[in-house]
Amino acid sequence: MADQKGSLVSDTLVMTKRSLVTTLRNPLIFVPNLAISMFFLFVYEAGLSGIADLPAFEGANYLAFILPVSIVSAAIGGAGGAGQALVKDLDNGFFSRLLITPASRLAIVLGPIIAGMMQLVVQAGLIIAVGFFLGLEVAGGALGVLVVLLLTLGWGLAFAGYSVGVALRAKNAQSAQAGTFIFFPLIFLSTTFVPYELIEAQWLKVAATINPVTYLFEAMRTVLIDGFSEPWPIILGFIVIAVLCVIMITFSTLSAKRAVSTD
Amino acid sequence: MGGSILVENAVKTFKGNVHAVKGISLEVKEGEFFAFLGPNGAGKSTTVQLLTTLLKPTSGRMEVAGIDVNKEPEKVRLEIGVALQETGIDPDLKGIELLEFQARLFGFSKKAARSRAEELLELVGLTEDANRLSGKYSGGMRRRLDLAMTLVHQPKILFLDEPTTGLDPSNRKSIWKEIKRLNKEEGTTIFLTTQYLEEADQLADRISIINKGEIVATGTPEELKRTLGFDAIVLEFDSEEQSTRAQELIGTMDLQAERLKNEVTIYAENGTAIVADVIRRLDEHQLQPDRLNVQPPSLDDVFIQVTNEQKKEASTNG
Repeated sequence: MADQKGSLVSDTLVMTKRSLVTTLRNPLIFVPNLAISMFFLFVYEAGLSGIADLPAFEGANYLAFILPVSIVSAAIGGAGGAGQALVKDLDNGFFSRLLITPASRLAIVLGPIIAGMMQLVVQAGLIIAVGFFLGLEVAGGALGVLVVLLLTLGWGLAFAGYSVGVALRAKNAQSAQAGTFIFFPLIFLSTTFVPYELIEAQWLKVAATINPVTYLFEAMRTVLIDGFSEPWPIILGFIVIAVLCVIMITFSTLSAKRAVSTD
Repeated sequence: MGGSILVENAVKTFKGNVHAVKGISLEVKEGEFFAFLGPNGAGKSTTVQLLTTLLKPTSGRMEVAGIDVNKEPEKVRLEIGVALQETGIDPDLKGIELLEFQARLFGFSKKAARSRAEELLELVGLTEDANRLSGKYSGGMRRRLDLAMTLVHQPKILFLDEPTTGLDPSNRKSIWKEIKRLNKEEGTTIFLTTQYLEEADQLADRISIINKGEIVATGTPEELKRTLGFDAIVLEFDSEEQSTRAQELIGTMDLQAERLKNEVTIYAENGTAIVADVIRRLDEHQLQPDRLNVQPPSLDDVFIQVTNEQKKEASTNG
């Protein structure tokens, strides 16, 4: 019975369950996150929808165009919360206790990462529901909604992985918070409000091209606006997100190991 | 061997050249109760973190349960239970949830984890509080829960870093009782760090005194008292002025004396033999103590003495 260790899968499940329980017991942290992402959708739709009349939009519904921005930006609260949860674990000594268990370092970081990802997927579901309420039409249909949620899942893992990695290196709430500011260039140096063709500044075009978030936006918009007739942007979106996930989760796992070896 | 600890020349230097541990060596045998005694900042916690895979040494060799800590930290984690100075508790989980969680990470099935958790709650007297959030526990209850978490997998070696610091006497006694039982009845090797001499004296088979990152004395409590613990001659004077003069005077007699307010304490191997000389000499200078007391060595005296010797060396060297 003793002197054993759990498998990677069971450790990850146990860790994830614990992170979810902790999240649900702190509704004051996750409820505002849910509210704010829906708020953005309302504001963007109300303030900016007129520009969809421009020819470059080819008659697309602005709601479908801006919805991905709302989902992606929700990550700062939802998935980003993973980092905050980790700082809390570091502060109350629980993280040290985790490190002395035989659980793999990957499972230790995956717990909060998956819980953060799940929070983002719930947020995305709510955002889409609000979108339908506002008159959203999805060209890809139910399968399209599923694809958007899958992309969200990937983005959630990547962003939560990043925030956990930063938290482990920063080791305090302030620096971890500062770390999530990378989010701002990521979301705004992209095709955030208008399509690529309408971006005028050359530097912004370059930034948008190298920004992985652009490919996420494009994949989601393709599904929402054009359906599956043009699969390439969707595939590209999945590839970019998959690569990002691998990088970020590796980053957080290495950070967990490093948290031990230096001071 | 199974429950032994071996440290050879372990050095830990932090960034900015802070030497937390300056080449310590020690050996703890299977089933032994070992205490690591030292003041705050002596390097006790750093040593525990090195031995429990939480820190990597700058240099040196360490074996825990016969396993090289640097090479196979994963294996070491299966053999040890660790209660750090700061309790490791998630305040958002209930007592029973924390124990089940810990058991699951040590490979227990759901059912086995549940029954082990209940067993341990009983052991540390928290059964009634099992379903309360641990964040609402008192300091003493948190300590007991933390100790229970370290015992989940029945470790061969227990590392306890100042487990009673900040506890009231009754909680302290209950922790003492439990770790004594683990050592005596289950043969668990105990590596305990403490600032309290009484704790080390009461519990440990063997003690090492650490100060400023170096081990300054090792032995059983009795050995330490015998070899290092000189008699203490305590002289109490009317005023600080007198005690200061007395200390200076005793200094000229090649004796070691500490002064605290009106009190002067002389440490000497054969207290009773020199006491007459001291009194005569003081009398020549019109110094008469109000009270005089010759005490056999206590662990306190050993502690003060070895840490003071180190201070002196540092000041003569520096």
